[in-house]
Amino acid sequence: MISLTSLAFVSMALFSIGAIGVISRRNIFVIYMSLEMMLNGINLFLITFARYHFNMDPQVITIMVIAIAAAEAAIFLSIIILLFRSKKSLDTDVFTTLTQGEK
Amino acid sequence: MADLLFLGLSFLSIGGALAMILYRDPMYSALGVLISILSVAGIFALLNASFLFMVQIIVYAGAIMTLMLFILMYLNIREEDLPKEPNKFKLITLGAVVMIPLNVLVIQAVAKLPSKDLSLTNTDFGDIGPIGLVLYNNWLVAFELVSILLLVALIGSIVLAKKRTKRVKQEGEVS
Repeated sequence: MISLTSLAFVSMALFSIGAIGVISRRNIFVIYMSLEMMLNGINLFLITFARYHFNMDPQVITIMVIAIAAAEAAIFLSIIILLFRSKKSLDTDVFTTLTQGEK
Repeated sequence: MADLLFLGLSFLSIGGALAMILYRDPMYSALGVLISILSVAGIFALLNASFLFMVQIIVYAGAIMTLMLFILMYLNIREEDLPKEPNKFKLITLGAVVMIPLNVLVIQAVAKLPSKDLSLTNTDFGDIGPIGLVLYNNWLVAFELVSILLLVALIGSIVLAKKRTKRVKQEGEVS
C-alpha cells in the first residue's frame, strides 16, 4: 500500500489543490495558505524519493524549504497587516496599487 | 498496520487541503491547513524521516500556522471584509481541468520506476545525527545563505512593523 505511486498521488494532489487555490480564490489569506500547501506537496515528494533512493540530500533540501517558508511567513504576514489596516479589506483586487497615498 | 495509517493520513491531508479551498471563512481554512500539515508530518514519520517529522510539527504547525491564526484573530475580520467570490466553483473546476493532465503525467512517469520496499527500517536513516553530518559537509554554503535569508526576513519584518508617525504627520500637513 505504501508504494511510490500512492505517495506521488498524495503529494501531487496537495500541490494541485494549492495551485487551484492560488488560481481561484481572492482572499489573500487563503492564497498564502495555498502557497504553503504547494510547498508541503513538494516536501512530501522530496521525502518520498529520499526514502526510495536511501539518500539523505533531499531531506536537507526539505529543511531549507521549511526555513524559506518561515522567512516568507514573517514578511508576508506583516505586509498583510499593513495592507489590511490601510484598505480594510482582504480582496486581492483592492491591492492592485501598492502606493501609500490615495489616488 | 502501517498501510492503514498511511491510508488515514493521506485521506486527512487531502481532506484538509480541500477544506482550505472550499470554506469561505479564513479561520476554517487555517484549521484545514493545520490538519493537513499534521497528517503530512505523520507520512514523514512513516517514510523514516524522524527529524523532519519533528521539524514539520514544531516549525510548520507550531510556528507558522500559529502565527497565521494569531494574526487572523488580531485583525478581527468581519463578514463584510471578506471578498465576494461569485464564480469560485467555476474557477476551481477550470483549475482542476488544467491540473489533472499534469498529475496524470507525473504519476505515469513515477509508476514506470522499479518498485522498492518503502516500509520502516531500523537503521539510523533520517535521524538528526546523519542529517547534521550531510548538512554541514555537503550543504554548508546553502546553510549559510539560508541563515542570511532568515536575518534579512527578521530585519524586513521589523522595518515593516515599526511605527511611521513622522511620514503620516507630513502627509497630513500637505493635505
